Formats: sequence, C-alpha cells, structure tokens
Amino acid sequence: MAEISRSWVLVQRPVGDDFDSALKLQSLPMPEPGEGQVLVRTLYLSLDPANRGWMAGPTYIPAVPLGMPMWGGIMGKVVESNAPSIKPGDIVGGFGSWSDYCVLPAADVNKIPDMGGLPLSAAQGLFGGAGGTAYVGVIDVGQVKPGQTFVVSGAAGSVGSLAGQIAKIQGARVIGIAGSAEKCAWLTDELGFDHAIDYQRENVRKRLGDLCPNGVDVYFENVGGAVGNAVVANLAKGARVALCGLVSQYNLDGGPVSGLDMLPVLLKGASVQGFILLDYLHRLGEASAKLGQWLAEGKIKYHVDITDGLENALASFKTLFQSGASHKGKMMVRVDSQAN
Amino acid sequence: MNKANRGWVLESYPVGTDFESALKLRDIAMPEPGPGQMLVRSLYLSLDPANRGWMMMPTYIPQVPLGATMWGFVLGRVERSNLPGFAAGDLVSGFGAWADYCLMGADMTNKLPDLGGLPLYAAQSLFGLSGGTAYVGVVDIAKAKAGEVLVVSGAAGSVGSLVGQIAKIQGCTVIGIAGSPEKCTWLTDELGFDHAIDYRSEDVAARLKALCPKGVDIYFDNVGGPLTNAIASCMALRGRIVLCGSMAKFANPGPELDLGPILLNRVTVQGFILIDHFDRLDAANAALADWAASGKLKHKADIVDGLENTVAAFRMLFTPGAPHMGKLLVRVDPAAL
Repeated sequence: MAEISRSWVLVQRPVGDDFDSALKLQSLPMPEPGEGQVLVRTLYLSLDPANRGWMAGPTYIPAVPLGMPMWGGIMGKVVESNAPSIKPGDIVGGFGSWSDYCVLPAADVNKIPDMGGLPLSAAQGLFGGAGGTAYVGVIDVGQVKPGQTFVVSGAAGSVGSLAGQIAKIQGARVIGIAGSAEKCAWLTDELGFDHAIDYQRENVRKRLGDLCPNGVDVYFENVGGAVGNAVVANLAKGARVALCGLVSQYNLDGGPVSGLDMLPVLLKGASVQGFILLDYLHRLGEASAKLGQWLAEGKIKYHVDITDGLENALASFKTLFQSGASHKGKMMVRVDSQAN
Repeated sequence: MNKANRGWVLESYPVGTDFESALKLRDIAMPEPGPGQMLVRSLYLSLDPANRGWMMMPTYIPQVPLGATMWGFVLGRVERSNLPGFAAGDLVSGFGAWADYCLMGADMTNKLPDLGGLPLYAAQSLFGLSGGTAYVGVVDIAKAKAGEVLVVSGAAGSVGSLVGQIAKIQGCTVIGIAGSPEKCTWLTDELGFDHAIDYRSEDVAARLKALCPKGVDIYFDNVGGPLTNAIASCMALRGRIVLCGSMAKFANPGPELDLGPILLNRVTVQGFILIDHFDRLDAANAALADWAASGKLKHKADIVDGLENTVAAFRMLFTPGAPHMGKLLVRVDPAAL
C-alpha cells in the first residue's frame, strides 16, 4: 500500500473568496486507523458551499482545525478495519476529508447499499445529503401542496435541481432561479420546471411578479442576497420560506451582509424557517426510498458534475461561488480514477 | 344636524417625519352614513406606527389616498346607525378617521368588551388592538412557555408593554428594549420585567449575551431595522422571532436581517398581523380582563388632549427617546373618560 496520502490542508482561514491561500495540497504520511476506526481509500469527494462555512469558524459543527485536512463528505472503499462490522472492500460513505485516504470512526460510516445498476456516484448525486436535504426541505419544511407556486434559487445546483423536481411531483407549479441561459434551459427542458429565471440577465422581482400574480407560496432559499429579496417581495399570504443555504453571502466574511427585508414577511404573515439536514437524519430512509422510486418511474433526474483528480478539487470548489459558472447538479471529485 | 366636523386631511404624502406638511386639520363636511355604515362621534383616536405605513404604500389595506381624511382606529359613540346590530349610543372601536366624526362599516368594527369598571380608554390601552396583538403574539404565535427567555423591542409601547407582562404571566424571563432610562425603569419597576436595555446608550447584543448565556428563545420584534441583527445573533437553538411591527424601518428602510444566524440556529421567523386572528379577540379580552382584575397586568394610556394636537402626538411615535409610554391616544371629546 502507498505510504503517502495527499490532503488539501486548511493552512489558514479563508478571507473572502481567497481559497488559494487557505488550502494547500500536501503529501502526508498514510494515516493509521485506531481502535474502532477504519481506513478508507477515497473514491469520491463531495464539494458543497457549506464547506466554506466549516473552514471559517464554528457552525453547527466545530470549525475545521487549522493545519488539518479539510473536511468533506466522501465515499470510499475500506482498506483496513478495526471494527468487526466493517470489512476491507466494503463501500462506505461518511464525513471524511479532501484526501486520498481517510480515517473514520466505524460508528460514523454507513455502508453504501447495492446501487441496483446505478453508478456509485448516484449515492451522492441523488441519495446522499443533496437528495435528503431537498426532500426534507420541500416536504417537511416547505410543506408544499398541490397547486401552490414553488420557487427555488440555486436551482441548477445539487439541492435545488432535486428540490424543484420533488415539488413538481407534489403537484406544485415550479419556478427555478439560476445563473445562466444554459442552466435555465436545463431546468425547463430536462428537469420539467415550469419556468426558469436567469438572475444575471433578468429582473427577478419583476419576472416573478408577472409569472405569479397570486404570489409565491413556498420559497426554497439557497442563495440569499438580492435574489432572496426579489422572491420575498413576491410572497403570497401565509408563505413559507425554507432557508437552506445562503451561497451568495458565504464569502462576505462578516462585512456588510446583504440581508433580507423582513417587512414583506410581516405583512404577509409569512415565515422563514432555517433548517439543516443534521436535524432530519431520521427522515433519510424515507427520502432515499422515495427518490429511488421516482428515479425508477422516470419522474426525477439527477446530474453529477465530476472533476477527475484530487489535485483539481480546489479549482472545482471555487466555481461553486462563481455566478454563471458552468457546473450543474452535484459537484464531486473522482479521487480514485477507477471509481465508477 | 348642524354640528361642525374637523378632520386631518392627507394633502400630500409625508417626507420623512414631516407630518405637519402632509396632514392639515380642516373643517370638513359631516359624513352621511350609507347602507351598512354608522356615523360615529370620536371619543379617542388610536395613534399607531402602522398608520405611517398606510400613508406610504399599500399594505394589508390600500394606500390612504390623497385628499382623504386620514384613516385610523377610533374609539367612539354611535350617532346614527345603518349597520344592523349597532344603535345610536353604542360604544364602538373600529376603523374610522382622524376626525371629530367619522364613518365606520362592519369591517374591523367591534362593540366594546365589558370593561369591568375600568375607564373607557382601557378599551384601547388594555383591550382593543394592542391587547389583542400582544395576546395573540405571545400565546398563539410565539407559544411562549415557562422558563423561556423572551426579549421584546418597543417594550414601552402599547403592544410591547403588554407583551412583556403576558410573557411574565406565562413564566418567561422577560427583557425589554426601549429608548430611554425612564422607559427602562418603568419596565422593571412598574411592569415587572426582569431586565430592560436602553438601545440608545447600551450595546444590546453584548448585554443580551451577558444576560442570556443560553441564548434568547423568543424575540418579539416591534421595530425591525438595525436592532434585528443584534438580537438575531443572540438567538438560542430553535428560537423564534415574531415579526409584529417595524417602526424603526421608516428611518432605516431596506434589508435588515442577516439570515446566517437564522440558518445556523434553525430559527423560525414568523410574521403576523392581528387582522388574520380576529377570531381570537374574545379569548384575548377575557384573559386580559382577568389578568388586569387580579393585578397581574398593568395598562397605561398616554393621553393627548385635543384633535388639533394629533399630528404633534403622532410624531412622538417616531422620535427615539420621546417620553410617551403605553398606548398613545388623542382624546377628541373632552368629556370622554
């Protein structure tokens, strides 16, 4: 076995969107699993906007310690196990790091089930955190009902693209907001959204006003900032905002934030509910079952945006924060070139 | 009848707090009640921060049109009624106008509850919209529970001063935020709030973090604007923010809330307007009467005499540190109790 494992190490907290200074690819000694731990050869690494918050400070988890490999969701093949329940060769998912090899507590990994003919990447692209978050956000938090108008921002991203389709399956009229003509065409032509709005070229507030004379009933918020305000200005009475992410704000580092105008929320008797998937882990079983069923029925599609090579993780990650960049769906790094 | 009628006419839309240029006291015609309407002699006018919003834009009602006698909630006595269920002499509280005499319809008009021996103005300072808003806001929207920490802004106002006391009755620890040392002293010494913070001279976030190491469970927001972020950063996990009013936003319009803390702490932000909860007014009035009678709840009316002083009084609502406390009323009929 190799003696070296490369890792993207967090050498300093990021300032703004300067990730090049914060993360450095280093060659480290192969990590050794301790008692109750497993050593995993990373197959896929998930890249998510939330990672940025973890780098900066404590969130709903502690901050990534300086000098340590950057954390991230991984799928991998077990190489060594000090836990009887997990065997070398098992394919597992868990909270690892941006590394060739990760050591994880056996209790914290889950075995990836037989994908039934689907590629392994579907475990993150559809069934993992993105699918779970989209499902819970639409069903539990947004509580969308048939006939309602559902709007999602970051609609071409991993969560947004699934959330819009799930809302459509629930019988809602779905409008996605994304950052390019290509992404918008994908939403309407491929994913079945009713409408898509390109926030870089269109007046979102006005377009929504025209499309939704009765207002927006459920808003799945992934971005915040100007887009968030444009949607909130169009809320229907009693509307629900499922607050999932604020990707347009993450790199602002405590400087003047583009906040939300609360007056429309007040006047419409609307609500904004912050939520994180960690509070809904008990719902993942149902989410995965439904997503699998809908996939088999052809009612839902997912897309994985795969970058080859751990060394390219940082370049890929940076594009998550670039308006109009070309990625769509679940951004992943194929760390092991043999992974399918 | 040959009685004279005066009213405050909205002749232009106000710029900033220059209400004197926008509203003029004029001799106006005595209005004639049509079908389903009543002619009401104004006893008291209720002055509310929301009135300013009505002048600025459509809200949950249309924008007040230029040339109209300014709209407002009025406590009055029916002179003539074409509205079934209401007769001359009835005391009513409803949607009228800033005038000696105004028309009321069925919409948003109620007979007064049993005042239980309290003076007439209690219909506005204890019952009415302020009491209803405070009750619904604390009990139905915030669902305040014993042991929770509730922070209320605009705490010395008509709604805020009742909110804090109702939350105390529910067993909460209550912290009020107001704009002067005198108001803060009133909150703690008279109304039983646990703590009061003067937002004009103190660092609200620092003070809250010291007072509430486990965070704030409920923020009852009467003001919006810059205070909101300070308090949002102090919310406890799964805390609730109740959006009731936004009077600080007139001076600080635009987006105010950093949603980061709302997401990280899985906070719920819930807006409400009392109009959507009128079905709860009977329950609210019964509880408020009971609490007032047993001494658990104090209400205060800050009464300005004379219709001609309405605009000067109204301006106080938007003057940080102005001396008014409790329910700001204009006594239009000098004989009113």
